[in-house]
Amino acid sequence: MIWLSILSASPSPSPAPTVPGAGIFSTSLLLSLTVWVPVVMAIAIASMPNPRGRYDALMKQIAFFTNVGIMFVLGIAYNQFQSFLPTLQYEEKVPWLQAVGATYHLGVDGPGMTMLILSGLIGIVSVLASLGIRERVRSYFCLLLLAQATVNGAIVARDMFILILFWAAAAIPIALLVLGWGGPRRHAATWRLLGYWGLGTAALVVGTMALYAAAGGGTFDMDVLLKATVGSRVQLAVGALMIVAAATRLPLFPLHGWARDVYSEAPIGVAVVVAGSASRLGAYLLLRTLIGAEPAAAHLLAPLLAVLAALTVGYGALVALRALDLRQAAAYLALIPGGVTVLALAALQPLSIAGAVLSMFAGGLAAALIVGVCATLSDRAQSRSLQVLSGLAPRMPILTWLMIIAGLAILGVPLLATFDSNLLTFFGSFKTQPIGAFAVAAGLAVAAVAFATLWRRVLFSAPNPDAPGVSDASLGETWYLGLLAGGLLWVGLFPGGPKLPGTDSPLFDQGLVNVMAAGLSDIASPYVLPTGP
Amino acid sequence: MKDFALLPEALVAAAAVILLIGGRLSWISPGARRSLPTVVALVTLVALGVELWAGATLGTYFGGGLVQDRFALFAKAAALLATTIAFAVVDWTAEDSVTVGLAMPLLATFGVMIAASAGDLVALWAGLELAAAAGVVMVALRRPDLALRLLVTGGVASAMLLTGLAFLYASVGTASLGTMRAVLFSGAPTLALAIPIFLVISGLAVRAALAPFQLASIPASLGASPLGAGLVLGLVAAAAATVAIKLVAALTPIPTVYSTYLEVVAALAMVGGGAAALAAQSPRAKLAYLAAGQIGWVAAGLVTHYRSGLGASLFLLGAFAVAATCGPAVMGRAEGGEAALAGMGALRPARAAGLALAMLSLAGAPPLAGFFGEFAVAASLAQSGHFALLALGILGSVLSVAAVAGPLRVMYIQSPPDEARRGTRLPVVSGLSSFGAVAFCGVIAVYGLLSSPILGLADQGAEALGLR
Repeated sequence: MIWLSILSASPSPSPAPTVPGAGIFSTSLLLSLTVWVPVVMAIAIASMPNPRGRYDALMKQIAFFTNVGIMFVLGIAYNQFQSFLPTLQYEEKVPWLQAVGATYHLGVDGPGMTMLILSGLIGIVSVLASLGIRERVRSYFCLLLLAQATVNGAIVARDMFILILFWAAAAIPIALLVLGWGGPRRHAATWRLLGYWGLGTAALVVGTMALYAAAGGGTFDMDVLLKATVGSRVQLAVGALMIVAAATRLPLFPLHGWARDVYSEAPIGVAVVVAGSASRLGAYLLLRTLIGAEPAAAHLLAPLLAVLAALTVGYGALVALRALDLRQAAAYLALIPGGVTVLALAALQPLSIAGAVLSMFAGGLAAALIVGVCATLSDRAQSRSLQVLSGLAPRMPILTWLMIIAGLAILGVPLLATFDSNLLTFFGSFKTQPIGAFAVAAGLAVAAVAFATLWRRVLFSAPNPDAPGVSDASLGETWYLGLLAGGLLWVGLFPGGPKLPGTDSPLFDQGLVNVMAAGLSDIASPYVLPTGP
Repeated sequence: MKDFALLPEALVAAAAVILLIGGRLSWISPGARRSLPTVVALVTLVALGVELWAGATLGTYFGGGLVQDRFALFAKAAALLATTIAFAVVDWTAEDSVTVGLAMPLLATFGVMIAASAGDLVALWAGLELAAAAGVVMVALRRPDLALRLLVTGGVASAMLLTGLAFLYASVGTASLGTMRAVLFSGAPTLALAIPIFLVISGLAVRAALAPFQLASIPASLGASPLGAGLVLGLVAAAAATVAIKLVAALTPIPTVYSTYLEVVAALAMVGGGAAALAAQSPRAKLAYLAAGQIGWVAAGLVTHYRSGLGASLFLLGAFAVAATCGPAVMGRAEGGEAALAGMGALRPARAAGLALAMLSLAGAPPLAGFFGEFAVAASLAQSGHFALLALGILGSVLSVAAVAGPLRVMYIQSPPDEARRGTRLPVVSGLSSFGAVAFCGVIAVYGLLSSPILGLADQGAEALGLR
């Protein structure tokens, strides 16, 4: 209850500038920078002469510092973010395809800002996880930057046309990365990814078009389209299509078919991007287009969402329990945070919606960590078979610790960010979706058994004398996994607002919980706009 | 200014005739032949400039047989742009004849221009047949058997088209498109109209190589030289689509006589094209089926019988014409399997980028010209309530994008093989072809980036056809 009181308490707002987003960054191009700088740098990398791979290291540095630069910009943007304003901030709006009513409209509110921070962090982590790439370095980092740009674009889009553009575009670089640098089953993984994500894109386009037609066909701007008064049948149809789109991306059972192959076959950096940020777009889409926009459909479809959440968590845990391949087990376990997020959305309670936003962030980090640590461990142990891997803890202390943290993060134990999100989720959802919440909790219990089995077998059993030689994580691997674990710990320790230890000075203004609540005031925010003295 | 409006047609037709006669009578020395592509590309570039400068002036010519309006401006400019870039980018060592290889695309372009500015049924038919005949000649240079097949199939299509147009003329009482539209406003849909329109749409579907009506066009394009393939897949299909747009605009008062046919044809083309592209092994076959799928989207826009839909179709037609005409030319000789493209990204970076952009644009992948066009068509389909067609179109696009993944991987991710084992050689690099490849990439990118004003121009084109 202490945690709940911390989370739900309304901290005092910091003195706020009069103009949202004003401060160091007064430019209206802030969000465009997060989208287009990676694209420009990708083009720069693609255009660089690179005789015999001479500048491979430089290309890696460019990709890394591009992501660091974006994270720096996002850090300042986060610091300036007006946590108590339920309005869009850093907004950019330029007419574009006027003939069809599309505008270049970008903007973020609390959930968007949270997702951007997640994407920025995952961007850095993915480059660090990709430092071992030796073949076709130029193409790899070019595509990786494009993938990150599309994810950022989908997050900041405030026009359905822009959202569709980036949502659909994300599949292309990611599919090529899996196809070009993936494991032995990369072809199957790529086609499954394209098939499922293509289905999701199709559902998103049809749903958007239905909404566009029902709203009069004048504009794709979310400010108009998602607030248009449409009939409950249209809402229901659009809501169902959005669930299909989200279920293919997050993914949710039974549209999770790509996840096992992609998470287990993709190169580590790509798997981290997909698990950490690209897949979280599914939940973000549901929040934007169903929960926040179609109240009638949201109430009708909430039980379906709860069922999908329970099935996803339960299925992921059960299959992981029986998996014989470490990376495949991780792939199934990485489904669990998405299920928890969807349960939070299904509850339609202020507390749970706040939990959903935090769960997108924390779940993204946790999924990326479990996928990344298992992939790194497999690489270092030269095997991914659970019949071969055993007793690795003494020889892999760093990876052992990280794997334990990853498991605990998936389960949502105290001190980790997922605990906060799970707490908000369950306190919110037991009220309106009790059966779904119990089922998800039961699924988490099975997942705990799966983790215990995995840890015992891989880490703490007797070493296998016939197994290939092993080595612990390298410095780069430790850094990328440590960043993910550190993020989970930091937000877990300071959920109401990370502060500089030992001082009262906020490192980031107001903190994640407040920021994520902004923009959800109608349905979710337990906070109220501050009134004058 | 009005006097200059037909100057582009005159330039293109004169250049074609001079090339044919000069080539036949051996006026052109071997040394001059080497610089011919540059000269002819400059001629078409000048024609494009004149079209953009003087084409905005409205006027009628030859007693209303030809009309210069915004529709004509848009379609003619797109055809001239596609031809200019194709001349620049093609590897002329892979072509069978320089003079015929230059003259036939010019004649096909002339055909598209005639169809685009046609004021009556005769000019529409004449423009389409001219373009199609040029395609047959180009294919015959390398594969007479496929050219014969194309000729026979095209002849059947032409007969259906001609019969349909004749019956249409008999039913309405006029060959003028503008008058026909006015007459139909006071008429009603009848079986006497529905039957000829069925014939016309069937004939156009074969001419445009809409899947599964690609009875001869796609096989012929696979056997032709790169420029010949671009001509058959791009310019002839663009001519057929131009005719379709103008006819549909005239028939909009009675949409029930054609919309069902068009829906079926468009749905088959979009899904069939995407599925066939996914199944195809050869890169050129993939390109051909991607083109067949995208032309289905053009047809889908016509189903709406709204200005927005026709405008979107016209916008998409421009993107299609450039990508489908130049795509095979950029690809070069890669007639074999995907291995023929292996390592192209490293060895021919500009061409590889052009081919990738052409394929992605034809597949409708964001953020390229094809995506914007297909999205505009999709929006008009939603506005008109054709959700089933929209869903099928999206399915086709998803299949198409999946089909492009393979060639992209081979070009950019697969290491270049030993050239002796490639089976076919990569295009020869020349100053003109490198410039053409870069220009092609630029046009595809700019068409997407400037989609707003270009779509506005296409919308004006649809408005010029009398749609409100």
